[in-house]
Amino acid sequence: MGIEHTSVPRWPADAPPFDPRARSATVLALCADAEPVAAAWAAAGGAAGVPVSSCTGDLEQALRHLDADMAGAVVGWRLLVAGPEAEVLRVRARATELGAVGSEVLAHVTGVPSRRVLCVHCDAVTETDEPVGGTVACAGCGHDLHLYHHVSRRLGAYLGFLTDAEERDPAGAVLETR
Amino acid sequence: MTTTSLVPAASELAQADPSPTVAVTGPGLLSLRVQAVETAADGVRTVTLTGADGGALPAHPPGSHLVLHCGGRRNAYSLTGCGTRPRSYTVSVLLLGDGQGGSRWVHGLQPGDHVLADRPRSAFAPVATARHHLLIAGGIGITPLLSHARAARRWQRSFELLYGYRPGAGAHLPELRELCGPRLLELPQLPDFLAAVEARLVASPVGTHVYACGPAAMLDAVLERADELGWPQERVHTERFSAADLDPGAPFRAVLRRSGRRVPVPSGVSLLTALEGAGVPVPNLCRQGVCGECRVGVLAGAPLHRDLFLSDEEKAAGDSVMCCVSRSEDPDLELDL
Repeated sequence: MGIEHTSVPRWPADAPPFDPRARSATVLALCADAEPVAAAWAAAGGAAGVPVSSCTGDLEQALRHLDADMAGAVVGWRLLVAGPEAEVLRVRARATELGAVGSEVLAHVTGVPSRRVLCVHCDAVTETDEPVGGTVACAGCGHDLHLYHHVSRRLGAYLGFLTDAEERDPAGAVLETR
Repeated sequence: MTTTSLVPAASELAQADPSPTVAVTGPGLLSLRVQAVETAADGVRTVTLTGADGGALPAHPPGSHLVLHCGGRRNAYSLTGCGTRPRSYTVSVLLLGDGQGGSRWVHGLQPGDHVLADRPRSAFAPVATARHHLLIAGGIGITPLLSHARAARRWQRSFELLYGYRPGAGAHLPELRELCGPRLLELPQLPDFLAAVEARLVASPVGTHVYACGPAAMLDAVLERADELGWPQERVHTERFSAADLDPGAPFRAVLRRSGRRVPVPSGVSLLTALEGAGVPVPNLCRQGVCGECRVGVLAGAPLHRDLFLSDEEKAAGDSVMCCVSRSEDPDLELDL
């Protein structure tokens, strides 16, 4: 699979507009840079007469807010989330887990200061500022992982696997460390 | 329920032989035998089919249909079973006076008759990640939703079934009542049915998916209202009996990139038929813009989409066309053929 088939999201430069068909919305700002975008969404919702529930805060606060809103939401609801990529991916993964579909989640990424890498050998997640294609030491099993150009929507993380898997002992015992 | 009818020209329809015939067995065909026939409601015949040799039948997702070879034609009917390890296939078919002869043929079947069918095809399956399944059936449109209800019970999924039917004409009521209990809403009065659908579309928890089957007007109303109420397309699933009648359309020319050939498509002749006439075979099944089999890549020119298969986004992209019903906005349509 070449890079042209990557699942790494290509985030548009401009924030997606507020969906005028929404009947309710949750707006989450995950960093200071995200606040103007979130404020514009909330204003657009307010102008359209759509009830908007907003939260500005860290990831844990945002996830709690999301859980509470989705517990009572009816179809017609939209999630608008802005912030760093790693946090946006985690919020989107949580919304998906709770039953949201792709077009119900509108995201704006303010930057990619770090990536979360899931180790396929031990399941640990390592946060890194390495670029896609780089190498990162797994926080769980300590092996060097290749930061692959695949992002799991379900887990909200990049895929990482041993950089030298093919040169290792063919029995492969070291590969399974979980 | 007829989802598709597979004869290309109306002139051939009139000649369709309504009596059962045994066709030549081809690869992938199922050889079936009628085990039982019964009347499910006024004008509705339920036919149970087993493997002719007593062998196992292919499993299928809920909401699938079976394409029966009805004499000289092929018609698709919804399977009413849940599809897991089926020992038999069951279809329920409404006799249509103005239909194309397929329902009359099915109503003529007797136990012991031999029937050929393609393997079941899935185009209306439940979404595994849904938190709740809202099933909406109008009239004989109950058949794929009976399949859904059985599967939902089997796998303990959250569901509700709204069943609208003319008083006295509801098919499968006893088994639906036993299967669904309080999750079945019987709505023989049209205003009650419409009010129940409206209430669900206004207030269904996030994570709900809608599955609707019934007359075209009912499906159009559900789609339009769901759209107004902010339902994403991904949450609304419909199964149509058949495509609407289409106008003959303006003539255009198909330009085949790989062979460099130019195939004229006159008014009243489908692109698919024109390609076949020119000796260019395209895989196809329903020939009504429903099944998605005859999708062809478009390299230049703007397609005039008239199918029910492609999503709005795919239609807007303009890079493929369902050649059985769709045509061209431009004089030339360049195809990846």
